[in-house]
Amino acid sequence: MSYIPGQPVTAVVVSALAQAPPRLGLTPPRRAGNGHPKQQRVEIHKLRQGENLILGFSIGGGIDQDPSQNPFSEDKTDKGIYVTRVSEGGPAEIAGLQIGDKIMQVNGWDMTMVTHDQARKRLTKRSEEVVRLLVTRQSLQKAVQQSMLS
Amino acid sequence: MQDRLHILEDLNMLYIRQMALSLEDTELQRKLDHEIRMREGACKLLAACSQREQALEATKSLLVCNSRILSYMGELQRRKEAQVLGKTSRRPSDSGPPAERSPCRGQVCISDLRIPLMWKDTEYFKNKGDLHRWAVFLLLQLGEHIQDTEMILVDRTLTDISFQSNVLFAEAGPDFELRLELYGACVEEEGALTGGPKRLATKLSSSLGRSSGRRVRASLDSAGGSGSSPILLPTPAVGGPRYHILAHTTLTLAAVQDGFRTHDLTLASHEENPAWLPLYGSVCCRLAAQPLCMTQPTASGTLRVQQAGEMQNWAQVHGVLKGTNLFCYRQPEDADTGEEPLLTIAVNKETRVRAGELDQALGRPFTLSISNQYGDDEVTHTLQTESREALQSWMEALWQLFFDMSQWKQCCDEIMKIETPAPRKPPQALAKQGSLYHEMAIEPLDDIAAVTDILTQREGARLETPPPWLAIFTDQPALPNPCSPASVAPALAWTHPLPWGRPRTFSLDAVPPDHSPRARSVAPLPPQQSPRTRGLCSKGQPRTWLQSPV
Repeated sequence: MSYIPGQPVTAVVVSALAQAPPRLGLTPPRRAGNGHPKQQRVEIHKLRQGENLILGFSIGGGIDQDPSQNPFSEDKTDKGIYVTRVSEGGPAEIAGLQIGDKIMQVNGWDMTMVTHDQARKRLTKRSEEVVRLLVTRQSLQKAVQQSMLS
Repeated sequence: MQDRLHILEDLNMLYIRQMALSLEDTELQRKLDHEIRMREGACKLLAACSQREQALEATKSLLVCNSRILSYMGELQRRKEAQVLGKTSRRPSDSGPPAERSPCRGQVCISDLRIPLMWKDTEYFKNKGDLHRWAVFLLLQLGEHIQDTEMILVDRTLTDISFQSNVLFAEAGPDFELRLELYGACVEEEGALTGGPKRLATKLSSSLGRSSGRRVRASLDSAGGSGSSPILLPTPAVGGPRYHILAHTTLTLAAVQDGFRTHDLTLASHEENPAWLPLYGSVCCRLAAQPLCMTQPTASGTLRVQQAGEMQNWAQVHGVLKGTNLFCYRQPEDADTGEEPLLTIAVNKETRVRAGELDQALGRPFTLSISNQYGDDEVTHTLQTESREALQSWMEALWQLFFDMSQWKQCCDEIMKIETPAPRKPPQALAKQGSLYHEMAIEPLDDIAAVTDILTQREGARLETPPPWLAIFTDQPALPNPCSPASVAPALAWTHPLPWGRPRTFSLDAVPPDHSPRARSVAPLPPQQSPRTRGLCSKGQPRTWLQSPV
C-alpha cells in the first residue's frame, strides 16, 4: 500500500485493505482511537452502463426509514445514509468507498437529513459524471464487528 | 350589565335550590347541586385555559351542564305542580276505576352513531391552504336525563362523523322520546398549522386568507350566548369557542331495532352560520331497548305441571317467568346455577292463558292453562298452583307480561344485546406539564428541512436567523424518563397547536422509535382517539429500512 508522507501511521492501517489510489485533497484524519469516526473524501467517477450512469454501491437509511434496522450505525437512532453494499470492481470500490460508511455530503449537498429517495436522487443525477462524497467511517475493527453481527 | 346578569343568575340558582328543598326530593336536589358545581368548575376552567382543545372541552361541559340544569329545573317544576294539584284536588272516590296498569321500565341504549357528511367543491374550499376544522358532539336527552358523546374534530378528510361511545339510559318507558342534538363549533386556524411543509410555508409567508378572515370577523361579530336562555344561565363572556346547534331529531320506540337503521336529521343551521357543516341529512345508529320484563324474572314459585299426555302424573317444579318463557326447574336452586329446566313453556303474544276450570272435575283446584299454537297443533300445558292467592299472583304476573309486551312491541320478540358503556376517560382538565417530548407530535410530513428549503427559496436571504422553534433542539434537557407519570399527554396531544407550528423531534430515547402519542402516555388513551389521528396523518410509522443501488 502506498505510504503517503505526512499522514499519521493509523492511516496506513485503514487503507491497508483498500486498494485505493492516492486520494486528492484528503483531509488529515484525526488521531483515531477506537470508534472515532473519520471523515473521508471519496471521489467517484460514474461508469456508463448502457443508458445509465452507475456508481456501484447501495445505500440504506433516510429520515423516512426505521433506523433501528441499520446494521452499520453505532447509534440506532441515526437516520443518516449508509453504504450497505459495494459492488466488486465498481467505481465506488475503486474510489475507496467502503461498506458501512456514512455519507454526509454529496457534491456539497447535505445527506444527513434527507429521505431515502432524495438521497438516491442526489447520487444519480444524470448531469453529473463525478460525485464527491464526504463520508465518515468508524474504525476498522468496529466496522467489521458491526457487519459480522448484522 | 354584567353585574345585573350575575345577580339574576344567583337569584335563579337560589330559586332552583329552594324549590328542590321544598320538594324534599333529595335525589334530584343532589343531582342539581352536582351540576351547579360542575358548571362553576367549567366556567373557571374556560377562563383559565389557554389551549384550544381545552377551551372546546370546557365549553362543551358548560353546555351540557346548562342543559342538565334546565332539564332538572323543568322536572322540578313538573313535580311541584303535581304535588300542588295532588293536595288540592282529592279524588272523590277511592274505589275509582282500577289502577292503570303501567308498563315496565327498560334500558335504552344508542350506539354506533354515524352522521355522513356531504362535501362540495364550493368557494368555501378553494382556499387550499386552510384545513377548516370543526369540533362536534352529540347531546342526547331522554326524559330528564341528558348525556353527551365525546367531542370529535372534523375536517374535510372525513366522510362521516363517527362516535365510538354508546350511551345508555336506564328507567325509560316504552313511550320514550330520545332527542338527539348535534352541536358544532368552528375551530379557528390562526395559530395552528396543519399538513405538509408546503402548507406550513404558505401559512408562514402569507397573511390570513380571504375566507378565514371572513370567518374570524363573523365569529367576532356574532352575538354571545350558548344558545339556551342566556339570561337564565349566562355564559362567561369570554372569546372562547361557541357551539351552535347543527341538527336534531327525536327517536321513539318505533325506531328501536336490533340492527343499524338510518334516521332523518332535521338540519337547524344554514350556511351563514360559522359552524355550518355540510351534513347529508341523516344519522345511522343502533337503538336497542331492553325492557325489564325480558331480563328480570317477573314471577317465580312452586307449581305442579301436568306431564304431557299423562293425566295423573303431575310433577312439582319451580317455575320462573322470565322474558317470553316460563321455565320450570326441578329445584329452586337450578334457576341460579344455570341448570337446564325440566320444561320450558313459551309465553308470547300468541299465547292464551286461562284460569282453568278444566280440572275442577278432577278435584284439582287453582289451575291455569297455557296454550300455544305450533303450526297446526295446539299445545296446552296445565299448571296447578298452591293456593288461590298464588293463582291470583301468577295470573297478575302473566297479565302484566302481556301488557308489557303489547307496549314494548318489537323489543319483546327477543332480548336485544346492550353493552354497558365503558367508563369514558374524562378529558384532561389541564395538561400536565411533563416532558416536552411527550407532547410533541412527530409526523414525517413535517419535514423541517423541506420547510426551510421552501422558505429560503421563497424569501431568499430574509431567513438568516434560525426560526424560533429550532431553539428547542439546542435547549434539550437530559433524556426524558419514558415512564414518568407526568407524561400523561392530553387526549388531543396529536393536534396540539403551538404558535410556531408543529416541530418534529427525533426520538431521543434509546428504545426503538414508536412515535405515537399513545405509546408515550402512561394511561392508555381510549380507543376513540384513533380515528382522529388516522384522519390527519397519512403515513404510518416507518417500518422499513430500504436499500437502493445507485
